[in-house]
Amino acid sequence: MVVYGIKRIVLESFPILMACILIALAAGYMLNSSIAEISELPLILVMIPPINGMGGNIGSILGARLTSALHLGTLEPRLRRQHVLRMNVSASALMSFAIFLLFSVLFFAIAYLSGIPIARSLSLALAFFIAGMTLSAALIFVTIASAFVSFKGGLDPDNVVIPIVTAIGDVLGVTCLLIAIKIVGV
Amino acid sequence: MAREVNIRAIVVQGLSVLLLCAFIELGAGKVFEGMRGYFMATGLIVMVPPLLGLRGNINGALASRLGTGLNAGLIKPRLAMSTEVKVNLASALILSVIASATIGVFAFGVNVLTSAPSIGVLELMAIAVLAGFLSALILAFLTVLVAIMSYARGWDPDNVTSPTMASIGDFVTIACIYLAVLLVV
Repeated sequence: MVVYGIKRIVLESFPILMACILIALAAGYMLNSSIAEISELPLILVMIPPINGMGGNIGSILGARLTSALHLGTLEPRLRRQHVLRMNVSASALMSFAIFLLFSVLFFAIAYLSGIPIARSLSLALAFFIAGMTLSAALIFVTIASAFVSFKGGLDPDNVVIPIVTAIGDVLGVTCLLIAIKIVGV
Repeated sequence: MAREVNIRAIVVQGLSVLLLCAFIELGAGKVFEGMRGYFMATGLIVMVPPLLGLRGNINGALASRLGTGLNAGLIKPRLAMSTEVKVNLASALILSVIASATIGVFAFGVNVLTSAPSIGVLELMAIAVLAGFLSALILAFLTVLVAIMSYARGWDPDNVTSPTMASIGDFVTIACIYLAVLLVV
């Protein structure tokens, strides 16, 4: 069972926070270097904060739930025959679907109202939806992996999972968006 | 509560929180937009994403630990300073100070490497630490409040605390950076 100690929390968290800061700096650098390409496309800059934020939130909720379940013993760090894991992943997938669909509709409306032709508005919204769903799938995987690996390694997953998931989410969010835009061909 | 997985409850609680968060995020973006010019000229701009990220991570981990503690019955759902809560709060504050100072150094390094305009390394560190500590103080207590209150109301704090705090955190942190700048420079 968990017994909290300042020393353990600080020692376990500090290296991970430093790693996350480096990942965040890398994400900022990536964004800066592709800013020329990005700025030419309408609405993309508006899409980046929501996709990163929502990705991080979905991963964080799943992470918080999985770590509680691991500590309580209702979940074991295995993939096979884990009812709790399956239900949690389904809930996260459903939540991603709903929230990204909603955002896509919103972005379609904004694009169309700001004078972009209807076909292009549709493909922008579609690109955002594809990017969001790809990001969610990737982050759900990262969440499960980091929770299981840290728990097996004797670390408290509460200290590890959320920082890792949000940092990776920031890097992957922009990447997914750029790839989805290439695929849809906005 | 975490013993029974109720998909409907997760989706309903999660979605309503996410919607609220979307609006808070848009507000934080607006505030940031307004201060952009000043941040660029002083080299502070490099520090903003890592400070926001750090804040989210420290609070997210705090929220996750509190959620586990509440669900496991280690933390009582009462607004009292139990040892568990104190240890968790103290850890979050200590981590904030150390990591913010490191961000100040990193930011100076990045500014020098990219030959961007920058104020001195000590000033950057002072702003980072002050902003980090101020926002940590406000947000850590809010995190405890949100976690305990949501549990007491019958919601799973795992669904509610980290998304809410991530969004409020961005807002408060940007305001604290601004305040720290006014105090230091």
